[in-house]
Amino acid sequence: MDPLRQHLTQTRRDFLATSASGLGTLALASLLQQDGLLASESSDPLATKQPHFAPKAKNCIFIFMAGAPSQLDLFDPKPKLNELHGKPLPESLTKNVRFAFIQKESAVLIGSKRKFKPHGECGMELSDVLPNLGTCADDIALIRSMRSTQFNHHPGQLLMTSGVPRFGFPSVGSWLNYGLGTASRDLPGYVVLTSGRGASGGASNWTSGFLPSTYQGVLFRNKGEPVLNLNNPGGVSMEMQKKGLETLSSLNQARYERIRDPEIASRISSYELAYRMQTAAPDLIDLSGETKATLDAYGVGRTEEGMKFGRGGGKGTYHSFSTNCLLARRLVERGVRFTNIIHASWDHHSNLNQEIEFNAKMADQPVAALIKDLKERGLLDETLVVWGCEFGRTPLGENRGKREANTGRDHHPFAFSLFMAGGGIKGGQVYGRSDEVGWGIDEDPVEVNDLHATMLHLFGIDHLKLTVRFNGRDVRLTDVAGNVVPGLLA
Amino acid sequence: MLNRTRLILCSITLFLIAFPTADVRSEEKQNKPELPPAAERKVDFIKDIQPIFAESCYMCHAADTQEAGLRLDARKDAFNGGDTGRVIVKGDSAKSPLIHFVARIDSDKVMPPEDEGDPLTAEQVGLLRAWIDQGADWPDSVALPEEGDPWADHWSFQPIARPDVPDVKNSLWVRNPIDAFILRKLEAEKVDPSPVASRPTLIRRLSLDLLGLPPTPEEVQAFVYDERPDAYERLVERLLASPHFGERWGRHWLDLARYADSDGYEKDRPRPWAWRYRNWVIDAINADMPFDQFTIEQLAGDLLPNATLDQQIATGFHRNTLTNTEGGTDKEEDRVKQVVDRVNTTGAVWLGMTVGCAQCHSHKYDPLKQREYYGLFAFYNSDKEVNIPAPLPQELAKYNAAKAKFDKELAPLKAALDTYEKNQLPQKQAAWEKKLAATTGPLGWTVTKPVSFTSAGGGTLTKQDDKSLLASGVKPVKDVYSVVLNTELKQVTGIRLEVLTDDSLPNKGNSRADDGKFVISEFIITVAPTGDPTKVKTVALQNPTTSVPQDKKLPITAAIDGKDDTGWSVDTKNVKPGRYVATFQIKDDVKLDQNATLTVAIKQLAGNSATLGRFRLAVTGAEREKIAQLIPDHTLDVLTIAADRRTPEQQKIVDNYFRSIDSEHLKLKAAVDAQVAKTPKYPPTLAQTLAKNDEARKNHLLIRGDFLRKGDEVEHHTPDFMHDLPAETKAPSRLDLAHWLMAPENPLTARVTVNRIWKNLLGRAIVPTEDDFGTRGDPPSHPQLLDWLASEMIAQGWSRKQMIRTIVNSATYRQSSNYRPELVSRDPANAWLARQNRFRLEAEVIRDSFLAACGLLARDIGGPSVKPPLPADIAALGYAGGVKWQESKGKDRYRRGLYIFFQRTVPYPMLATFDAPESNVTCTRRERSNTPLQSLTLLNDPVFFETAQSLGQRAAARHPQDKTARLRYAFQLCMARFPTEEEYKQLDALYDDMLTRVKDNNDAMDNLIGDPKLPADNRAETAASVAVARIIMNLDEFVTRE
Repeated sequence: MDPLRQHLTQTRRDFLATSASGLGTLALASLLQQDGLLASESSDPLATKQPHFAPKAKNCIFIFMAGAPSQLDLFDPKPKLNELHGKPLPESLTKNVRFAFIQKESAVLIGSKRKFKPHGECGMELSDVLPNLGTCADDIALIRSMRSTQFNHHPGQLLMTSGVPRFGFPSVGSWLNYGLGTASRDLPGYVVLTSGRGASGGASNWTSGFLPSTYQGVLFRNKGEPVLNLNNPGGVSMEMQKKGLETLSSLNQARYERIRDPEIASRISSYELAYRMQTAAPDLIDLSGETKATLDAYGVGRTEEGMKFGRGGGKGTYHSFSTNCLLARRLVERGVRFTNIIHASWDHHSNLNQEIEFNAKMADQPVAALIKDLKERGLLDETLVVWGCEFGRTPLGENRGKREANTGRDHHPFAFSLFMAGGGIKGGQVYGRSDEVGWGIDEDPVEVNDLHATMLHLFGIDHLKLTVRFNGRDVRLTDVAGNVVPGLLA
Repeated sequence: MLNRTRLILCSITLFLIAFPTADVRSEEKQNKPELPPAAERKVDFIKDIQPIFAESCYMCHAADTQEAGLRLDARKDAFNGGDTGRVIVKGDSAKSPLIHFVARIDSDKVMPPEDEGDPLTAEQVGLLRAWIDQGADWPDSVALPEEGDPWADHWSFQPIARPDVPDVKNSLWVRNPIDAFILRKLEAEKVDPSPVASRPTLIRRLSLDLLGLPPTPEEVQAFVYDERPDAYERLVERLLASPHFGERWGRHWLDLARYADSDGYEKDRPRPWAWRYRNWVIDAINADMPFDQFTIEQLAGDLLPNATLDQQIATGFHRNTLTNTEGGTDKEEDRVKQVVDRVNTTGAVWLGMTVGCAQCHSHKYDPLKQREYYGLFAFYNSDKEVNIPAPLPQELAKYNAAKAKFDKELAPLKAALDTYEKNQLPQKQAAWEKKLAATTGPLGWTVTKPVSFTSAGGGTLTKQDDKSLLASGVKPVKDVYSVVLNTELKQVTGIRLEVLTDDSLPNKGNSRADDGKFVISEFIITVAPTGDPTKVKTVALQNPTTSVPQDKKLPITAAIDGKDDTGWSVDTKNVKPGRYVATFQIKDDVKLDQNATLTVAIKQLAGNSATLGRFRLAVTGAEREKIAQLIPDHTLDVLTIAADRRTPEQQKIVDNYFRSIDSEHLKLKAAVDAQVAKTPKYPPTLAQTLAKNDEARKNHLLIRGDFLRKGDEVEHHTPDFMHDLPAETKAPSRLDLAHWLMAPENPLTARVTVNRIWKNLLGRAIVPTEDDFGTRGDPPSHPQLLDWLASEMIAQGWSRKQMIRTIVNSATYRQSSNYRPELVSRDPANAWLARQNRFRLEAEVIRDSFLAACGLLARDIGGPSVKPPLPADIAALGYAGGVKWQESKGKDRYRRGLYIFFQRTVPYPMLATFDAPESNVTCTRRERSNTPLQSLTLLNDPVFFETAQSLGQRAAARHPQDKTARLRYAFQLCMARFPTEEEYKQLDALYDDMLTRVKDNNDAMDNLIGDPKLPADNRAETAASVAVARIIMNLDEFVTRE
């Protein structure tokens, strides 16, 4: 029997060990034990498990900036690029390169309109649209030498979220929950928060792939009903729900006693967790307990002043993104293993200057507030915060057919930037270097699989050892590659 | 160890990539170490060469491991080369990469690699060179290594032999051979089989397994009280004959077929005709199409001689592959990805093996080499995707009836026209021509030579040979053309403007604008005595006509309405560029003499360069009422030729003209046209199919699977470790591949197929790794049973229904599924099958069961996909809000789960929550998870709550006064049995509790009942019934088979 099956069979033996039920549960666990059905260790599929070695990080907040923000206008200053503004790249560089939209023959470099200045003791240079993140510079490890293999959004997003640019593989959050379980008892271990328009990859960005849906991301909305089907139907009060579920539980238990299939016990537990979630999830999104100072710090309630294009996610995006950042902290407090904040509006093929200003204004304040808030609460040490994206953007301007003005940048997988903070990351450093126009990498390239290997390492997991047999192969998050990047570790 | 090998594999592969055969020559010219000279004596393979291979190469390139797909211990493989091509070029050692590697010519590309073995001596290299130069003779006696092929012994590659049915002690238990195989193991373990399940359990099990629907209480009653000895077998026959059987087993197949209703990837466009293939699957399974035919039609139906429509629709199997239409996607890359998916799916579905790894490198654990992968790839590499008209039989029947009626109505009208054209028209036309010859006065327009012309906007007008004017040069946004005409007519009554096309104009059109649009704001004629422009007089125009459909907002009348902000234009969106004609009558006669000048001003003020590109003017002096009847220029030209000297084409021109003015002909023609306009439309239904590309593509190995890096050319071939294609196969095609898969020598397909059927009926497969029959997969729990089933399936003509019948009629299948705690430690996975298995129902069956139990289910079979209610913000998760979800109306909201429109990037939440496949790649095994989101769905999802409401109402309506009967009925509708006394007691208590809570709460009552139209009686009781029904439907038993 393959390891996954075996694991699952075992885990189904009992799901009760940790359940602090809101319902009047009978002593099912002892019943199971009598039958010899209860595995020796706790076997809830999401119960916490020991990592391979002592971890630094316990939780992860992965902020996925889908669409690919321009690193040249946010993170990676290129004075030489500004100097060469309007000039073509030597053909040797573009020779065998594909583009999505750029017409190679007439493409020219475009400089950045942004002003960069150093921040923090480390002197990390960041764009003028990221003033707040600048104040976190000493906690941030900024990687300027990321590299992807994918040109198009969906495959690129799959690579960044699941380590493989194809369908059907578990995402990072699923792997972490599979490998480590989650400390949250009343909420799922993998929560997804979105704002703006949908990402190219849709739900495939938080899929559990070939793992059971137990490990897939659960989409939370930040207003109204936070989880699909969380509210009782009209006419069913919470007391009626409790009463009904008690009967349900009791009838299921009676059946268990007759048939003795542990799967029934597992179902009872699922209903109990569902019931607890009905209280815990609304409690999560109820921000009335947060101070005004906190809400303001994150920018909850902000409006998009001066929004000209109606893009970048449209009206309400600032508030929504700020709320998601605050919810991420609240999820960490509740022990949720992996929180994925997705914002998909960074695909700036045109109007880059205005659009990136709009988006940066949305992201800068709340992301910085999140890092500081976690730090103040003593949570940053054990929480890994990642700002990620599927690839970067070209130093060449996008001169796609018939477009008159050259106001955007095309997809660029050869060199891009992302940053990490907390969770055992060595902050206050810039890692790796792209070349002088930001075309390729001069020093310390970091592949997506390397990033994942490093992330797992921070969680105490050897990326070579966390495997699941699927289709005859021991599949891992890092596919057939990946090296931990020691320079990033504290 | 595993990972180390992988790393080595990668480095070696890279090494080979950088050093393909073709590059060797150019490398030689550079400053590299020289090759050691070849030995000068005759070399013997066995004595001189094989020992070198054995010492330095076999560790990585022999039977056990074949790094980079290269094997040097078997002749055929050695000469075939590795993943990147041949390494031995017979007769030319200098061009043989092998020699370059071992001679360590390039420090990055040396063999054996550092740390893996000592470098070869110059003498050894010299021997290898000499052997190759001398023709690389490799004697037959050592063509294969002594130990043979390591894969040769693997169980699944062995031929299927029909095993003898074993003898067992408890032969009374045995109903068919299946039971003997199962019982032999049980007896060996001294374990008794479980007793047969109760009749209600059996009918529910069979109904769910064969139809995916729970039985109705009536069906349960009928079976429970059926005392005939073959009651069970009769039930099986009834279910196998049900049309819902095709839905249930079709859905199993659709998992493998990665069926979905959209393209996938970012854009994820809908595929409105995908369902046509689903219909085919359901029909084929209902008709019990033998599995070999079922296979051949789906893989190559289009290539069958005289392929029927259904056989072409079947090829939709491989159209379920994703399509990437994201901006900037490389089309060839996506096409290659599609072919790869087709190869991988074929491998997974028919061979039970993951072949995809071999796309990039030779398979590590299974015998598939990379070049063999591309041999399979070749079978799918020259296909194209075509959508063909594929009306459903009932659509076609309806169309045919309508068409017959239409044809019948058209026939007499056509006959009348034909008769007239044959019998009367020629005489009338002759008379007309005769009369024409005698007519005095102008018959047509007089094309007029422009004397001078200008473009006020600065463009250049140039006179053409045909007296037209062509605009070029500066392209003003607006323009006014002025043309001075010189005519010999003494009196002018009408003027004609011809708008012409020219090759020099944008899109070879009529206008100077890129979009082909022109607007004539005002068309003005002035007359002045020559030499005295001060006496210029504007001539009034009237009764304009035009030859082409005009832009509704820009009619011809607007050209002479005196307003510059209106004008005339052609409906260029719907009318192709061509010759357009406008005519105008002059209101008062214009008398011309030598001293008067006629000036035409064409104002074109709409902007965007909507100006004429080429035009020509003509005048007439005919009586005004006859202007409309003036004969067109080219017709007039022909008419001047005597009838007997006209060419057939010229005569045709005259004939057509006469027909256009002959009132009787016009009338008859109009009647025909009116009828033709009513031609019934051919049914719009299409099907996605695969067809052979007109041109065969070249097949290459793709290095590391990269579509841009072509390796050696590869022929169509099937993997070496399996049986060969028939020797007589020339130019192998998909059809040959399909026949090859279904050949009796194929040991895999029958085993893989019966294993899946078994899994669907017993809950656990005989080979638990259904997707991996290779060396890394699990061995079968009952190898002989598997082979008996496989040989039985072939013997029964590949009948799916017969295989299912055999399995469900066995005593093994009929056992109770109750857990046997005493066996948990001995057989935790229930591999011995000392009992049936219990398992959670699949996503679609859960939905169907809820809808069926409450009575809402729409049982229509087939047709387009449906869109039941979806939470508002779910569709918005699709890329850039591109996913539209137009909720279905009426009974389509209650169709079975397999008909739900499957949008790949936004899967229907309920399906995803219950582990329905994502349908991006073939799914050979569904997970069965158990999560709180599932609980929330069944408790609270509005779709499911609606079923609880209906169940509550249904039970309350049936037993309005009798609480006990009502609750028992609701329970029975779900579980196919009545509740036990203890169960009833709890439900009864819950009911009473709910009743107390809702009795005085009208809001709760209304919300629970839902339907405001229900009668006012017993509202509290109905509401309480709904609340209890909701709990009954959430019982483990209802979503579990058993």
